[in-house]
Amino acid sequence: MSTLHEFLSRWAGPARWVGLGGAVLVMVAAFLPWAYLPAALDNVTYYGEPSILQWLGFALGFVTAACLVASPILAAKASPRTRRLLNLNRGATAAATASLVYQAIAAIAVALELGGLITLEPGAWLGVVGAAVAALATRALHAGSDARLRYLPTPAWAQILGIVVVLALVLVAAAYGLGLEDPGAFVAFGTFCGLAAWVLARVGIMGWISAAAAANRSALVLASFVVAFVFPFTQNGSDANMSIAAGVLIFAATAMGLNIVVGLAGLLDLGYIAFLGAGAFTAATLSESAFATLGWHPPFPIVMLIAGCVSALLGLLIGSPTLRVSGDYLAIVTLAFGEIFRITMNNLDGSDGPNITRGSNGIPAIPNLDVFGFNFGESHVIAGFDIGRFANYYWLLLLVLALIIVVFVNLNKSRIGRGWVAIREDERAAEAMGVNVFGLKLLAFAGGAFLAGVAGSVKAHVDVSVTPDQYVFMESAFLVAGIVLGGMGTVGGVLVGAAILKLLPEKLRFFEDYRLLLFGLLLIVMMRFRPEGLLPDQRRQLEFHAEDDELAEEADAQALPDLATAGAALSATKEDRA
Amino acid sequence: MNRRLAAAGLSGLLIASLALTGCGQRNAEPTASGGGGGKKVAKIGLIAPLSGGLSAMGAGMRNSVDLAVKQANASNAIPGWELQFAAEDDQASPDAGKNAATKLTGDKDVIGVVGPLNSSVGQAIQPIFQSAGIPLVSPANTNPTLTKGADLSKPARAYSTYFRTCTTDDVQGPFAAKYLLSEGIKKVATINDKKAYGQGLATAFAKAFAEGGGTVVSEETINPDDKDFSAVVSKVKAAGPAAVYYGGEYPQAGPLSQQMKAAGLAIPLMGGDGIFDPAFIELAGSTSNGDLATSVGAPAESLDSAKAFVSAYAAAGYKEGYSAYGTYSYDAANAIIEALKVSLPSASSASAARSATVEALNKVKFAGASGQVAFNEFGDNTSRILTVYKVEGGAWKAAKTEDFQ
Amino acid sequence: MDLLIQQLINGLSLGALYALIAVGYTVVYGIVQLINFAHGEVFMMGAFGSYTTWMLMGSPTNLSIGVALGLVLPAMILGGVLVSVGTALLMERFAYRPLRNAPRLAPLISAIGLSIGLQEAVRLFYGQIPGFPDSRRAIPFPVIEGLTGRSIQVGGVTIQHSAIFTLGALLICAALLWWFVNKTRMGRAMQATSQDADTARLMGINVDKAIATAFAVGAALAAVAGVAHGLRYNNIDFQMGFMAGMKAFTAAVLGGIGNINGAVVGGLVLGIVEAMATTYIPGQFGSSAWKDVWAFAILILVLVFRPQGLLGAKVVDRA
Repeated sequence: MSTLHEFLSRWAGPARWVGLGGAVLVMVAAFLPWAYLPAALDNVTYYGEPSILQWLGFALGFVTAACLVASPILAAKASPRTRRLLNLNRGATAAATASLVYQAIAAIAVALELGGLITLEPGAWLGVVGAAVAALATRALHAGSDARLRYLPTPAWAQILGIVVVLALVLVAAAYGLGLEDPGAFVAFGTFCGLAAWVLARVGIMGWISAAAAANRSALVLASFVVAFVFPFTQNGSDANMSIAAGVLIFAATAMGLNIVVGLAGLLDLGYIAFLGAGAFTAATLSESAFATLGWHPPFPIVMLIAGCVSALLGLLIGSPTLRVSGDYLAIVTLAFGEIFRITMNNLDGSDGPNITRGSNGIPAIPNLDVFGFNFGESHVIAGFDIGRFANYYWLLLLVLALIIVVFVNLNKSRIGRGWVAIREDERAAEAMGVNVFGLKLLAFAGGAFLAGVAGSVKAHVDVSVTPDQYVFMESAFLVAGIVLGGMGTVGGVLVGAAILKLLPEKLRFFEDYRLLLFGLLLIVMMRFRPEGLLPDQRRQLEFHAEDDELAEEADAQALPDLATAGAALSATKEDRA
Repeated sequence: MNRRLAAAGLSGLLIASLALTGCGQRNAEPTASGGGGGKKVAKIGLIAPLSGGLSAMGAGMRNSVDLAVKQANASNAIPGWELQFAAEDDQASPDAGKNAATKLTGDKDVIGVVGPLNSSVGQAIQPIFQSAGIPLVSPANTNPTLTKGADLSKPARAYSTYFRTCTTDDVQGPFAAKYLLSEGIKKVATINDKKAYGQGLATAFAKAFAEGGGTVVSEETINPDDKDFSAVVSKVKAAGPAAVYYGGEYPQAGPLSQQMKAAGLAIPLMGGDGIFDPAFIELAGSTSNGDLATSVGAPAESLDSAKAFVSAYAAAGYKEGYSAYGTYSYDAANAIIEALKVSLPSASSASAARSATVEALNKVKFAGASGQVAFNEFGDNTSRILTVYKVEGGAWKAAKTEDFQ
Repeated sequence: MDLLIQQLINGLSLGALYALIAVGYTVVYGIVQLINFAHGEVFMMGAFGSYTTWMLMGSPTNLSIGVALGLVLPAMILGGVLVSVGTALLMERFAYRPLRNAPRLAPLISAIGLSIGLQEAVRLFYGQIPGFPDSRRAIPFPVIEGLTGRSIQVGGVTIQHSAIFTLGALLICAALLWWFVNKTRMGRAMQATSQDADTARLMGINVDKAIATAFAVGAALAAVAGVAHGLRYNNIDFQMGFMAGMKAFTAAVLGGIGNINGAVVGGLVLGIVEAMATTYIPGQFGSSAWKDVWAFAILILVLVFRPQGLLGAKVVDRA
């Protein structure tokens, strides 16, 4: 690649014009039909009237062109200080590459959905060719140094405004993306979102946003919560997506609990789903269901606490061997524990043990929650919007998740959290420094399990029925994968991992049969090439790349507060890989 | 420099606003999907495991419903309406099933749904269809509590929109018990796989067998993911039964039969419709001669509607076989179509006809591929014609058909 | 009394199967301190490899006992060994070797990915080969004349030929393995590597090759176990590796992981415990449905109270 780059860089001047030509072609392509039939993507068969996905393709072409045009103007007119704020050459390369990926994916999606390349109309070809020309030509540009926009002193109100705009865009994107029925359109849109974030990072805008986020953490948290809270209003009263969203939140809440155990304390737990199951079974047996085997029906807040405590007790039980075993052995112990839990729940049916769980029938017909006169099963009309059953639970889960995140973040920053990290790094050294290793390990297990139990108690009511076959090893593997995928030890990472693992299978039904295969391959590839996850914790990233001095220096050079923020970490690694 | 920033922000907003306005314009146009020559559209849904370990059965269910819908359209069964088919994957898990159910209930064109395969999924999605008022007809849920409620001694229908075309455990088990007793077998052992289907079947069998004067000498359970049954077989053998009744499905029943015979326990193994599958004989090997299974309805050879289904299925050229629940799925889809013949013609839209469809389903009566289809006051199939099949020369042969009361 | 002996034989032959798989865990662990979680899938691949060999031979049936035992069965074992060794070597080269210096969680998570990926690959693609049976459900294993379904009656006790085959295979494999590890150059290189990889490298030992050999040896035994499984249970399926792998791992830990004799003893003990628990634990908890719980409970208890296992492990303390 480097020889290609050397060859190209001799032609930096003309390349700008060629790249511009390619970008214009991409923009023109948006106004031409891409497909022969309307069924593919979001109907891309019109002349002069682009669909939304075509507009997105146009946008990438436009950004490429804008960067290419603005870069020399900026270089000629602006002061050196101003010039270095944005890296428009890098932006142009990124936008052109993003264009190529996007156009190619759109074309492939059309070809797959309609059956063959023959179904592609000229617009699709023009887009791919234009983007390819632009991508190749922009490689010849001088890369320049890192954008310094993130160090730009900005008034707080502007930073907060930036955060709000970004989150509003996220909300619009989430609402729009979830509404896409066509799998090709969903993939294309998802790819676009990832590419857009990447382009912004390359230009340097993402750096500014993450600096703003780091400086206004409470505003960020508040705004994120508001955005998540507003989400049901974007669904027009439809419960289909809210049911998926509720699933994502349950998964995220459980994974967040697991993140304490795995991400912070470094104890791999392969049977974690048992804690969610324990919470769900506890809530089910204490519910008003006609199938509940215990005659006691306390109000839900108490049930929630009991469920958490039952799980925490199990956590203590499973955590106690950690005094003696560690590492891989512990992982296997927890796996065995998860299997024991599942089989035991299956056996407590009255014929192979006392009748508590009704065996594989489980406990169905769990009634909707009715807390303080608010029935979660009924639809409500709020400000003219229909809010259905799953939206009610979504809000409850959002509260639970917020609680778990608060616990997680505070623990992470506290003496306890530092103790966990010390244990993760070197157990003996930690013990020598006076860290109560056994106590902290137990606390990690019990605390994580408590949170999972609370999540499970809500899950029982959302799901209506609780059966042992919901709590199998594969679910534990998914939880671990969610953390690994997103990035161990970070809040954002877990949320991203949960969203990817729960959302993609729902939206990409066309590869339903290949889901697990891809999942397995994903784990292998992630471990091989990016073991720290998509949004890693900076400290942890260093662990995985111990030999990488450049990364370490970069981490040192950066101001401390934005170390852990997503954007900075992302751009840092991209730099390092480029 | 602030100008640049503003420009970047503006362009972002521009993109978003352009996107949103674009959306408005194009949605105003008539969409091409309405199609069908001016006919109104009603959808029949399916919820089944289309991926994962049970996908072979799920695919058979999907194809059978697809066949029924295609046939209805071809014969113009409901004038002025075009039926469409929407299949959703539940991955055999209640979580995914719930999402599939909300997706179907959120579609205003959906008027009836076939599925699911697993009773555990059924439990999770019953209330979703109940609150949407959409009929759910399961071809495979055999757990009696799904229709009769928690307390079987005081049955009360819990979900008025739930029906099923298969029989429940409390019919097949006693029928098998009666057959064995009539063959002069007085001592049996039962084994079940602890799944809802198998356990229910074995329990119902054991109760009826004891009431009929027989003795159940041993009641064993296994794990559905077990391979090695030698310990259980030795234990059963020591109890000296004259037959083994197995509650479960063929993936375990086949190897169990083979291991029984290999361990010197040369007595027949009997089971329900979950083992009535050619794969059972393949797995059990040549020693399976004499093994028994019960199944609903008269044998396909004696039933014109069943023969018609088998030949139509073959003619449609599906990649997968119709599997254990294909006939029930076909009947479930046809039950919905029969009801639609009553409810749809006068309706303005599919969603408006939902409650009328539920009403009409209660009165449906026709000859299906698995036998006579009609629903009683709980939503269970009234058909009680059952057949005992016996393995002879490497194939299932009908041994006795009876209207079981 | 007959029942006790019968269950002892049931347990021994089941345990022999566990032991054959457990050796793979223990050999690999002994040399690189890695729990090859996907070893159960190597076992599964061995079974499918032998089935494929049988298909490629034209799926011969109704043979004379001589041809079946002298020609078809050895060919099937060889085919299974080739496939599972190939799988294990590819796994080692492309998934584990790059992670040798990564933090401990990385290879374990990779292994879970491998395990799921291999199962799914077999489920989805094996049946797509023209003429091959649908691999999404259990595939009946070929009948080997003289072994399948035959048994010897000793008093009230039935001993199946397949049980004799499994036990015999274990004995032969254990003897071969002992000879290989202690008497050959490569075996001693493996021992040296397991004691201290860096020193071994300084002494001129090709450490990568020694590690790959350990994977290959374990895989070969797993393939034999795969054939034995097919003969015992008359069917194979894509999921057969998960539970078998878990049990075999339990057996390896029970005997003392890293210790080859320990894996054999652990496997046999575990098999007997499962058979006896089904028969002799009274009441509701004696049901066969609980036997996996007892097996895993033993695993946890051993790890907590005697982490070095029954015969003592090479390496115990691992952080």
